[in-house]
Amino acid sequence: MFPSLHSLGSCTYNGMDLTVLEKQQARLKWLQQQQQQQNYVVQNNAHVELCTSSVPQFQGLLGSSLCGGQLVELKMPEVYLGSDDFHKFVNFSVAGPEFGVSKMDLVMPEAAADYSISRTSGCQMTAFQTAVIKEEGEDVVLEKMESTTGRESFNKRKAKAVADYKCKDKKIKEVEAESEVKTKCSAEVSRNSSKEKSKASEVQKPDYIHVRARRGQATDSHSLAERARREKISKKMKCLQDLVPGCNKITGKAGMLDEIINYVQSLQRQVEFLSTKLAALNPSVEFNVDNLHVKEFPAYVANFPAAAKSPAMANLACLQLNPLQKEAVNCILDATMHPPGTATEGIASASMLIPEQALGSSCVTQLQPFSTWNTDPQCLYNVYNMGFH
Amino acid sequence: MRPPSSLKQEFLKKWITGLQRCSSSKRNMSILERTKAIKLSADVAMASARNSTTCWSRALIANASKDGSDGKHLVEQILGLESERLMMKKASTGALVCNKRIRSKKILKRSCRIPRTRKCVPQVALATSIAKRMVRKRTQVLKSLIPGGEFMNEVSLIEETLDYIISLRVQVDVMRGLAGVSELVNHN
Repeated sequence: MFPSLHSLGSCTYNGMDLTVLEKQQARLKWLQQQQQQQNYVVQNNAHVELCTSSVPQFQGLLGSSLCGGQLVELKMPEVYLGSDDFHKFVNFSVAGPEFGVSKMDLVMPEAAADYSISRTSGCQMTAFQTAVIKEEGEDVVLEKMESTTGRESFNKRKAKAVADYKCKDKKIKEVEAESEVKTKCSAEVSRNSSKEKSKASEVQKPDYIHVRARRGQATDSHSLAERARREKISKKMKCLQDLVPGCNKITGKAGMLDEIINYVQSLQRQVEFLSTKLAALNPSVEFNVDNLHVKEFPAYVANFPAAAKSPAMANLACLQLNPLQKEAVNCILDATMHPPGTATEGIASASMLIPEQALGSSCVTQLQPFSTWNTDPQCLYNVYNMGFH
Repeated sequence: MRPPSSLKQEFLKKWITGLQRCSSSKRNMSILERTKAIKLSADVAMASARNSTTCWSRALIANASKDGSDGKHLVEQILGLESERLMMKKASTGALVCNKRIRSKKILKRSCRIPRTRKCVPQVALATSIAKRMVRKRTQVLKSLIPGGEFMNEVSLIEETLDYIISLRVQVDVMRGLAGVSELVNHN
């Protein structure tokens, strides 16, 4: 803040080259003498002629030399301050060395600096007015102005906002060459060009707009929908990755799709193969389901979901058997169907029966472990499955 | 999504009833016929176990009934009486719409082909375009694999693939179990 104020000490003013009325020129000169420490150049320009009837207008131009000593001027012609009858054309072009560095995120300190500047300009203004009254004492309007110093201070606050605003604008102009913040710049420039009534709340607006502008590049409905779609696809792809074995290590969509295709193909081939196998194994498609306890399944499955399939299949299969085998398989089925307590008997009877029916000894050895695992139907089912292979 | 055990149960139940219906209609089938009947019944059972809420199941039933007169007959037999009416209606309309779509798509492709090829020539060198092309090719293959996949967009294709894979797994599991049982029985 202070460095910027000190930098004002080295300000250069360019009030000379502007054509002004002689009176006002004189006033200006007096002012310059008075304020050489502050180095405010207050110049009245051609606008004064337009509005001499009601209010004097000042164009306070705070030109401060930049790093290269060149003066940065704002192109902004005029800013209306509120709804007052008191128009001021205040062009602050404030540029401290730190502004030259153009830190966009240091808005607050800069704003404070601007505030101080505007305050000083304000007090300078009042001094100027009093001086004007002393010297000339011509205008009633000036008295009015004096009476409205409070109002003026209010206006100064607004002017501060404007100055802040302008500072930003100028900064942007400085940075414009190398900055990536062009969107913000353009937004602010457009706002400036539309001479809006500046309020303190509106100073906050550029940030908001800036965010929206930044996002605006990707916020049109097409790209938004595209992004949503892509996210959806990638989510589903992740699910597929979990589902398809050996797909975890593969990155890239093409590879993943390859893996998925292979998996689906293999599954389809398996179905084909299994149906051929079933057709070969069974002389007819007739799977009699008369004694298939379809209705009893759910109750049974509620207890032992894992073993749900085996009895049904066994029951299916036993239709093709001769009576002896049928009996044996039925025994096994009973063992699996009944609760573990009775299972022991069933299996015992099965293992008793099977040797009598002169089945292969391998079958007996397969069935023997049943008696040891009778408490767990899951194990039973596993053994049963093992016997298949 | 339902747990796979209940899906297995439903599939098995439907398959068995379908097979029963199938066998009651026709005795003394050759092994090829039997294979076909088993596969068809398994497919239709799987599709109807999914309650025809998914595209692939509807397309599967439609394709099965489109296969030929005996295929249609089989589907009719496999599916229940009430559901059969519903399915057939859906399937027939679906097939009709499909044909229309195929024709229009072909026309569109033919009209688009020439400019596209010209446009693609300078882009061949770009890696991104190559990757894109690879993905597109594989997507086409996947579309041909999934029943009814030709008419899906990418998002729904992935979803349907997910569902289809789960169902295929259930089918394979059940069929393998049944094959094992019958193998054991035959061995005995």
